[in-house]
This record gives sequence, structure tokens and C-alpha cells, in this order.
Amino acid sequence: MMLINILFGLVVGFIFGFILTKTGVTKYPRVMGMLLLKDFKILKFMLTAVISSMILFYLLGDFGLLKVVPKNLEWGKLVGGLIFGTGMGILGYCPGTMAARIGEGKKEAIIALFGTALGILIYALTIKPVKATFLSTEINGNIFLQLGLNKWLVIIPAAILFSAIIYFVNKKVSDNKKIF
Amino acid sequence: MKVDNSKEWHWFKGGILVSLLSVATYFIFAAIADRNYPFGITAGFGYISAFFGKTFAGLNENPVIKRFSEKPDAFIEFFILIGLVIGGYTASKLSGTYSPENIPAVWEKYHGKSVIKRYFFVVVGSILLGYGAALAGGCTTGNILQGWAHLSLGSIVAGASFFAAGIITSKILYPKLGDSDDAN
Repeated sequence: MMLINILFGLVVGFIFGFILTKTGVTKYPRVMGMLLLKDFKILKFMLTAVISSMILFYLLGDFGLLKVVPKNLEWGKLVGGLIFGTGMGILGYCPGTMAARIGEGKKEAIIALFGTALGILIYALTIKPVKATFLSTEINGNIFLQLGLNKWLVIIPAAILFSAIIYFVNKKVSDNKKIF
Repeated sequence: MKVDNSKEWHWFKGGILVSLLSVATYFIFAAIADRNYPFGITAGFGYISAFFGKTFAGLNENPVIKRFSEKPDAFIEFFILIGLVIGGYTASKLSGTYSPENIPAVWEKYHGKSVIKRYFFVVVGSILLGYGAALAGGCTTGNILQGWAHLSLGSIVAGASFFAAGIITSKILYPKLGDSDDAN
């Protein structure tokens, strides 16, 4: 069992890292370019993955092959999200791309890896007050339940909206623009 | 500085492949780790935190440390992290883009050559990244690539917050770029 877990982790990580590096989304100028709203390759990449997985997940769900469990909403999502975003803006990459960057020979990403682990350790030390403040009230994360709509009446408009964003930024901005 | 696009995959190809990986991992995770969501990254960092927390700080009873050291998904995600490093290495070697560097060239151009200064920002930035990911219950992978695909309310808010704070931070670090339109 242990060996299967290790092998599975290594294979999934390898494929994911290969795709991230190969698509170029690990590059510092691309991440900063996206946050500065000047380079949208990463946004197009992410939204493509989101649209495709969304349709696949809910289709397979309709066939009873899997069950999507949405993440609930609590204040921690907003506050943690803002803290994470600030860190991402300072670093120019996120946890997944950070690991792939270590493989690409970017030395500072090794420091960032331990910094990220330290951040989680600090979180563990502050869990008591944080839990009472930001994680105590929870709203069910199922958007269909909250809106009271059939799920495809939400999924299809969401897919159209994401596609429209991709189409718009793709038409407006080239991936090869000189920014910095 | 121009981003060299010539050796990169198209965003559409990369995006579709990631979605197929997400769906495939869902089924395998369900089978071996009794978990009903696809792969993430944060718990892998949590596994490292738990290792140090248990060894040096004696946090054996801390709920966060306990969760990351006992649940099988954290153990698997730790190996996903290692796999990511190997995958990044292999992809960059194969396409000839492997490029060792201390600090990003763009940073150097705008903020100077000081490695110490950049490392200071890296330490601060990564601590915020780790803390934020733990509090938000996932990073870009868990909350956007997976969470947005599930249309989870929690992930929609978390992902939007990533962008909001990231956009403001990047404007502060590169103020001149944000205002000029002479990018070409």
C-alpha cells in the first residue's frame, strides 16, 4: 500500500510538473505578467483546464461514476486567499510551479519551499485563535444548492463565461509581447 | 526582456492535459487514499511542516500537524512534490530550457542584483504563501484548477482573492509597467 502511494505520487507529480514546465507557466515573467494584466497565457491555460475538468467531472458524476464534493465557504477562504495572493505576487510563482522551478535549476525556489513549509508550521501554531475567528462560520459550498438551480444551468453558463474570457484576452494580447 | 515562446506548448494543449490528469487522479485517489477530490499540492508542504513540527517543536498533539502527518493524502502529496521537481527537470532538459539561476532576471533588472535582498522577499513571500494556502484550504492547484472546476463557493472566493491580492502586490513591485502602454 505504501509503495503504491509513493509511486502514484511520483507519477502524478512528474506528469503535472512536465506539463507546467513544458507549457511555460512556471516562468517568473509569465506569472508577474499575468498579475500585471499584461500576459494571459497562464490565465488561458488555467481556464481551459477548469472548463474541461468541470464538464468531465459533472458528466461522470451524472453517470454515477464519481461524486464532486465542493469546498465550503468560510472567512478563511477570503483572508487566506488574500495572504496567499500577496505571497504569490512577491514570489512570482505558487506552490506547484515552485516545485517545478526547483527542477529547472532555480535556486531560490529551494528557499521558498522551506519558507512555505514554515508558513504552514506558523499556521499550525496559530490554529486556535484562527479557527475561532475565521473558520467558525461555514456556508455550504454547493453553488447549485445555494442558487436553487439545476446544475447544468450553472455549469453551461460558467463554461461560456470562461470561454468568453479566453477568447477576449486571446484576441487582445499576444503571448509573445515584450513586457519587462 | 521577451519571453521565449518557441519551445512552449500551446496553452490549450497544456490545459486539456491537466484536466485529464485531474480526472484520472480522482479515481486513483478514491481507490488508494479514500479521498474524493483530485490532486493538490498544499498537503505535501504540510507533510514537511509536520515532520519539522513533530521533531523540533514537539507539536504532536497540534490538530494541523496531526492531520498532515497521519492522513495518507499528505504523504502522497509529498511525493507529488518530489515528482514535480523531477518533471520540471526532465521537461526543461528535454526542451533545452534548463537554466540555473539564483534570482529571476526580470527581478534583477528592476530591483537590482542583490541576492540577499531578493532572498529576503522570497522568505517573506513564501511564508505568506504557506500560511495563506493552509488557511484557504488549498493553493492554485486545489482552489482554482480543481475548486473552480467544481464550482465550489469556497474555492471561487479563495481563487478570486489570490488574484485580487496578487494584482495589487505586483503593481506595487512593478509600478511603472502597470501604467505605461508601450509594452511593444
